[in-house]
Amino acid sequence: MKKALPFIAALVLLLVPLGVSNQFFLHVGITVLMWTSLGVAWNLLGGYAGQISFGHAAFFGAGAYTTMILFLRFGLAPWYGMALGGIVGALISIPIGLICFRLRGPYFSLSTLAVAEIIRLVALNWESLTNGPVGLLITSLPHVSFLGITVNWERKEPFFIIIALLALCSMLAAYLFVRARPGSYLAAIREDEDAAEAIGINTTRAKVNVLALSAFLTGVAGGFYGLYFRYVDPDTVFLISLSIEMVFIAVVGGLRTIGGPVVGAVFLATIAELFRDRLASGHLIFYGLFMMLVIRYLPEGIWGRVRRALNMRR
Amino acid sequence: METFLQSLVNGTLTGSLYAMIGVGLTVIFGVMRIINLAHGEMVMLGMFSAYWSYTLWKIDPFLSAIFWIPLFFIAGMLTYRHLLKAIIPGGELNTLLYTAGLSLLVANVALFVWTGDYRTLNLPYAMTPLRPFGIAVPVPLAIAFVLASLITAGLYLFLGRTDIGRAVRATSQNPEAAALMGINVERVSMITFGLGTALAASAGVLLVPSLYLYPTVGEILLVKCFVIVVLGGLGSIPGAIAGGLLLGMVESLGAVYVSVAYKDAIGFVMFLLVLLFRPQGLFGARP
Amino acid sequence: MALLEVSGLTRDFGGLRAVSDLSFNVEAGEILGLIGPNGAGKTTVFNLITGFLRPTSGDIRLDGRCISGLKPHAVVRSGIARTFQIVKPFPNLSVRENASLAALVRANDRGKADAEAVRTLTQVGLGDRLDVPASDLTLSGQKRMEMARALATGPRLLLLDEPLAGLNLHETEDACGLIQKIRDSGITVVLVEHVMKAIMRISDRVVVIRQGAKIADGPPAEVVNDPGVITAYFGKRGT
Repeated sequence: MKKALPFIAALVLLLVPLGVSNQFFLHVGITVLMWTSLGVAWNLLGGYAGQISFGHAAFFGAGAYTTMILFLRFGLAPWYGMALGGIVGALISIPIGLICFRLRGPYFSLSTLAVAEIIRLVALNWESLTNGPVGLLITSLPHVSFLGITVNWERKEPFFIIIALLALCSMLAAYLFVRARPGSYLAAIREDEDAAEAIGINTTRAKVNVLALSAFLTGVAGGFYGLYFRYVDPDTVFLISLSIEMVFIAVVGGLRTIGGPVVGAVFLATIAELFRDRLASGHLIFYGLFMMLVIRYLPEGIWGRVRRALNMRR
Repeated sequence: METFLQSLVNGTLTGSLYAMIGVGLTVIFGVMRIINLAHGEMVMLGMFSAYWSYTLWKIDPFLSAIFWIPLFFIAGMLTYRHLLKAIIPGGELNTLLYTAGLSLLVANVALFVWTGDYRTLNLPYAMTPLRPFGIAVPVPLAIAFVLASLITAGLYLFLGRTDIGRAVRATSQNPEAAALMGINVERVSMITFGLGTALAASAGVLLVPSLYLYPTVGEILLVKCFVIVVLGGLGSIPGAIAGGLLLGMVESLGAVYVSVAYKDAIGFVMFLLVLLFRPQGLFGARP
Repeated sequence: MALLEVSGLTRDFGGLRAVSDLSFNVEAGEILGLIGPNGAGKTTVFNLITGFLRPTSGDIRLDGRCISGLKPHAVVRSGIARTFQIVKPFPNLSVRENASLAALVRANDRGKADAEAVRTLTQVGLGDRLDVPASDLTLSGQKRMEMARALATGPRLLLLDEPLAGLNLHETEDACGLIQKIRDSGITVVLVEHVMKAIMRISDRVVVIRQGAKIADGPPAEVVNDPGVITAYFGKRGT
């Protein structure tokens, strides 16, 4: 019964747009699902490998820009662009990883921040590629039909389904990766990196691999962002606070859990909605506060704690 | 040639303030092995404190340092005692995330309370720059430089000559041995955090007549500060000073000879180069 | 040809020469003791052999193949495993998981890795505590677990860094017996130690280093009477 639960939940999720037509509700759902994907992606590196990255916005932005540029300049449909966005994210993660993984702990974290900032500045100034601070805008999405039905891009339903599939695939990918051999290596690295080397694990390669997967998933989500919001500029998609929000989702939800980011994303989206009318970034106050509270009182995250409580009841 | 010298001077002046921020961070790391991500916000709070004491009570910012610095020292100690102490046993990762949360909280409360408007503090006696040898030296920056040097010298004396200072150095070299020698490591940690905070805040106080002030300025300062600390070597005070001066000069020269837009990026690139070729920094020990 | 050949090994740290032109061989099937006063550079030698440090100059060959400059994981895969002076367990994982991770690197699947882990853990006497979290073991237990973990990588040469430090008399006896059993199972052992009685008893040969340089190399009985060694440990004797 327990094993079937995630599948049932997934099925229910995909059927939501059939039952719900409230556009606002769907919009919130889309936001939550996008953040879930991002949280799952970040968690692979941060929770499972123990490498706290503050620079994931770089991959998000890379994916978003790739999708936008491929569509606006070359006419490539955004759904393919999304996949390529992920690939671009993964590709740039390799040199980034090779540089940053030379450091450990907080120093690694801040190096990722520096890298992300450099990329943001490049995006801001390389106007011939990215249009600089003006950003890129999609005015209309291509005409397409699926199973005989023309997709109505004016409504939220198609986007909901896309992001739901994306989130589910991300979670599945993460789950499979963690269960397999690479995932075990990550546990060793997280516990003691030198000892991991001493038992024959190529720690650099393992870290670069998990980063590539993490960056790929982040990039695809970035591509979705471009598809859904249809506008990107360097200060929206390369911003540090984006990276911090990913950290937040994973930490509050539960590092080292697959389901944690869902909880974290729901939290984040709820707070964001509650405070959006009051003040533009008032919600960040609560992110900071909650992060502190969670680390202090619930270091395994909300979902982590719940899961432990459920396990204990046997 | 004159432009070059001008750049160098600008770079050294700014660099000295960067250095002070970096010293604060590196001292905290050296003793407690934690990176305080909220360090940038300490600078920001220092800036705002001096701003408000000038705007509301007409107290010259450089004079206000006299009471702001001790206040921030105490604030730092309290922060350690009531917030950080409980988190540190949880490990490096947790402490890092905690200070990240603190940074987010402080920066955004400041944003909420004071709005994101850019502010400047213009001192009436500081309008015209000094011109020694034909090089323009802004008065507030010059005063800041002198005071920063004095403070840093004071720090050196403190660490080298006083018992507490020696206790701090001992703890940063080997906390266990220090404890065995009868040093109250908890107290030293508290004092060190207070010290680091005070250094950051005093850099803010000294800088406020020379920089644009806004609540999220801590972000960019933190990253620069980190560049400095890595450049100079983790935990090394002379390293942080050298790193700060170097960053100041590289930025200044970069702005003139490369491009203003990429000025900030230059520091980051330099930082990445150091990581690749000399990860222990200029003065550091192990990679 | 010796199993391990170290020739002209040198390592500088800035101005400090930690290891100085060191040369020695390790023959297959022997227990070699590496001793010397504190600060002599013994752990540095281990770090150099296992790839945690790069030599400033010199050569390290395993079965004739050059391994100096390889990354630690590559050194492990070529057949050398090590333990650490200060134990480095994977604290939140179970004892079984600690060892099976090491075995997993070589094995095709988890089943084989787990079986190998159980085998080495039983060999060191931890067969009854497989599912205990590693951090719950005593120091003696953790040291044995680290040995089992190293053995699970299937090494031909095992480097033990002060395996007896912190053990009481009884535990030391057991550990010595274990080291001999490991050697008898076909694995060559090099150990760094300070506990003289133990080293002299179980080593076939002893290499003495002082300030990074070799000052003696031979059977224990010979080395212990070497005047240079005596001076190194006790200072000059009066008559």
